[in-house]
Order: sequence, then structure tokens, then C-alpha cells
Amino acid sequence: MVAIGFVMLAALLAIVILGPVIAPYSPSKTSPGSLAGPSAAHWLGTDSIGRDVLSRLIIGGRGTLLITVVAVAIALAAGLVLGLVSGYVGGRVDQAIMRVLDVVFAFPVFLLAIAVVAALGPTLQNLILTIAIVYTPTLARVVRGPVLSVKRWDHVEAARSVGVGEFAIAIRHVLPLVVSPILVQTSLTLANTIFTVTALSFLGLGPPPPDPNWGSMLAEARQFMELAPLTVIGPAAAIVFASLTFIVLANGLREMLDVGSR
Amino acid sequence: MIRMVAVRLALTLPILLGVSIVAFVLMRALPGDFAQASAGTTAISAEALDTIRRNLGLDQPVWQQYLVWLDGALTGDLGRSFATRQPVTGELLPRLTVTAELTLIAGLMALTMGACTGLASARLRGTTDWAVRGLNSLLLAVPNFVVATLIVLLAGLYFPTVGIFNYVAFASDPLGNIASLLLPALSLALTVSVTISENTRAAVLEVSSQDYVMVARAKGLRAWTILGNYLVRNALTPVITVTGLQLAALLGGSILIETIFTIPGMGQYLFDSIANRDYPAIQAIVLVAATIVLLMNVVVDIAYARVDARVSYD
Repeated sequence: MVAIGFVMLAALLAIVILGPVIAPYSPSKTSPGSLAGPSAAHWLGTDSIGRDVLSRLIIGGRGTLLITVVAVAIALAAGLVLGLVSGYVGGRVDQAIMRVLDVVFAFPVFLLAIAVVAALGPTLQNLILTIAIVYTPTLARVVRGPVLSVKRWDHVEAARSVGVGEFAIAIRHVLPLVVSPILVQTSLTLANTIFTVTALSFLGLGPPPPDPNWGSMLAEARQFMELAPLTVIGPAAAIVFASLTFIVLANGLREMLDVGSR
Repeated sequence: MIRMVAVRLALTLPILLGVSIVAFVLMRALPGDFAQASAGTTAISAEALDTIRRNLGLDQPVWQQYLVWLDGALTGDLGRSFATRQPVTGELLPRLTVTAELTLIAGLMALTMGACTGLASARLRGTTDWAVRGLNSLLLAVPNFVVATLIVLLAGLYFPTVGIFNYVAFASDPLGNIASLLLPALSLALTVSVTISENTRAAVLEVSSQDYVMVARAKGLRAWTILGNYLVRNALTPVITVTGLQLAALLGGSILIETIFTIPGMGQYLFDSIANRDYPAIQAIVLVAATIVLLMNVVVDIAYARVDARVSYD
């Protein structure tokens, strides 16, 4: 299971990293013949203004995945710090952090993302920041839970009794034991983020044009989809493949690392 | 029981307060001026802008503005729309009912699908289990707006005569109304049914291994009796809890799906409001949605404790 996940991830990364090299055309280059079906020159046909669908899919994946990975990296960093401090320090600090996160948690993820992006304007930075904020509480909770129990274990007690500093204990003895659930949750969050990023772009709240993006491609193609179904199926399949990659990876990691299912 | 409800609500109150602060700050921290936005796109003199500012109370300190707004919100007054000059509450309510109906239908669909596949997966094991779990992984990867777009595509290609964008109002034709919401609800329900299916499977497996089920089987009760009286009944509690908690996801999702199927619900209102820079409306939608989710969670918690005597919040 986890092997399949890594193979899919490798394929995804290869396409994204090698994007400009393997894309047959420039994503903005138009050619005569719009909404053409698949041909030797355009494997997935062309879109409504004659751009090559395959090239746009490949280049669009870069935009989609870049936002996803950066946003989740920020959310992970924030979630790690908040969860570790909250679980390890406990008491009032824990209460304060958790109540603030509860507030963020109370909003339907997607609604909060729409509102923030709409209020601040759909720029790349705002989009990344919004998604990072929206997913921080989940990751922080996943970190906090195990930390609460691990910090009472004997080896932590032993380290403390021989005078190891609290910060060193947190980093060296507590953090490694919460790595498994974090890996699983991060992978799931990546899948969810792909959904949120593409959905926001689908609604026109994604990164501004001209950069292609799976969500906006899907939205643009809807108008003419009966004439050229591939313009819709292409980005739809790409979105599904990307989220499936992270879901398979999460399931595989959960089995391999034996993380109890929630 | 009353004590527990009170404790649970008391715990929710500070979160609700936080939610209202976020909703308020979000719209006041906008780039640009609230007063300018309320005037719309028309050019406006500095004096007129000052008048608007005074009328909206924007010359007061921010915390005072918040208290005035909160006081209004508590009595059901969510301000006036910038776009139509009508009270937001009156505009939001009919749309909220449509969204609530869509969410409810989708929730019931997801519960039915998830419970059936989860039960089949846990009882029949073998190939069925394998197939259900594989299908679930795949379904989880297909976002609801992709499902919706594909449904629209397939309908357009193979059933061009079926109108899928014809939303029918409940008042004019209740059955037609429900029928017009079935496809949108299906696109919402698929992903959510996966969570329910997985939880049903786990719950049924857990209950199946209990001693009283073994006793029932040993004394020769028929498989169907065991299924109905022991398995389903005991596995249902966690399943219903999960369904309740999934309502937040459904509510967020319907905002997206409504725009695809042109259903006049809260989602469409939100996008009209964003397009018009109608900040009081956006604020109201965010506040109302978060409040519904919070209250939903309280209800689920209470229902859970009511059914399962082992749970206590004291």
C-alpha cells in the first residue's frame, strides 16, 4: 500500500518538476482549431481558445501543488509548535491555545477560506496563508494528543530527573514519538488542501491568471464541455489522481506505522 | 441531564464569542474603506462619505462598533445589505432554508449509503469488504465539485432532455423541489458517505466481537435477528455521531455545489455578496454558518451522552 503511494507520489513529483521540459507546448500558446479532439499533435485536444490541454495540465499541476505544499508546510510548522507547546506545557497555556484553535475549528473549512480570500483579495500569498490557517487546528490537535500521554512516560521522567532541559526533552524525547500520527495526518491534509485549492480556483478565487491551474481549467471548460469532454475530464482526472496519491499514502503510512485509526 | 446541557452550552459560549469577533474583524480589516464599500462603485464626495461613516457608526472606537454589531446580531438584526439596502436577516433566511434542505437530503443519502456499504463490508468480509474499501478510497479522492461537474457533463451528453438546472421552489411543488435537489445532494453525499462507511464498518466489527453477540449466536438466534437486534442497534450510536459531525463538511460543500447547479441557497447568496462587496451579508453568512456548526456539535454531544450512559461531561 505504502509502496503504491510512493510510486504515485514520485510520478506526480516528476511531472511537476520536469513540467516545462516535458510539456509539448507553452501553456499559453494558442494554435488554430479550438476545442479540437485528441490528435497526434494535441494528445488531449485543445481548449476553447486553442491552447494545448495536456501542456496546461502539466504546468497547471505546478501551480496547484506548489500552493498545496507550501500551505501545508506552514500549517504543519504552526501545528507542531502550537500542539507541542500546548500538550507539553499544559495548564493555562494549553487552555488558551486550544480555545483559540476551537474558534478557527468552528468554521466550515471551505466557508472560512472563501470569506478570508474574498476579504483580503485572491493573491497567491493570501491563498497560501488562508489555507495554512484553516488547517493548523487539525494538525495541532493531532500533535497535542500524543504529547499529553508521552510526557508522562518513564523515559521522559528519567531525562528530567537527570537534569535535561525542558526544551531539549520536548524536542529530543517527545517529538520523535508523535511523528507517526503527524505523517499520516499531514498526508491527509495534503489531500484535503488539493481539494480546497482547486475548489477556490474553480470559483475564481484562486491564483490570478494567466497561470493555468486545475481548478480554473475545470471551471473554464464547463461552458463547452459537451463539445470537448476531455477539457473537463483532464483536470478532473488530475485532481483525483493528486488527492488519491496522498490518500493512498496516508492509508499506507497508517498501516505501516500502525497508527490507530481515529 | 439539564446540568450536562448547561455545561456543554457554557463551554460553547466563549467559542461563539470568538467566532463573532472573527466574523467582525474579517470584514473590518478589509483593504479599502468600509464606508466607501457601502457607497458602492459610484464616485462620492468627502462630505457624503463622512455622513455614511457617521450613520454606520464608523466614527466610534472599534470595540464599541463591535458591541453594537453583536447586540444587533443577538436580537436577529444582522445589519443592512449594501447591495439592496434591505435587512440581511430577511434576505438570508429563505436562502438558509434551501441550503439546510440540501444539506439534510445529502446527509440522509450519505447515512444510507455509508451505513449499507459499511455493514456489508463488515458482515460479508472477503471480496465485498475489499471492494467497498477500494471504492471508498477512490470516492474520497473525488472532490464534490468534480462529481457535480461530471454529473452535469454526463447529463448533458447522454440525457440532454433532462433539465438539471431547474430548481423548483418547495412552496410551488414540494416533490419537484426534492427531486431537483437529488443530483446536487448526491454529489455532496458521496465523499461524506466514505467516512460514515468506514465508521460503520469499524463499529460493526467492534460489536460483533462482543460476548453478548457470541452468546446470541450460540443459543441459535437467526442471523437476521442478531443483525437487527444486536449489531445495528449497538453500532448505530457512533455512526449517528459521525454523521452529525459531518454536517459541517456538508454545509461547506453545499455552498460550492449550489453555484454549480444554480440553486438559490446560501452559497449563491455568498457569491453574489462577494461580487457586490456586500460586507454585512458576508459577515452574516459566516457568523450564521459557524453558529449552526457549533450548535450541531453540541446537539451531537448531548445526543451521544443521552444514548450512551458511559459518557459524562460533569
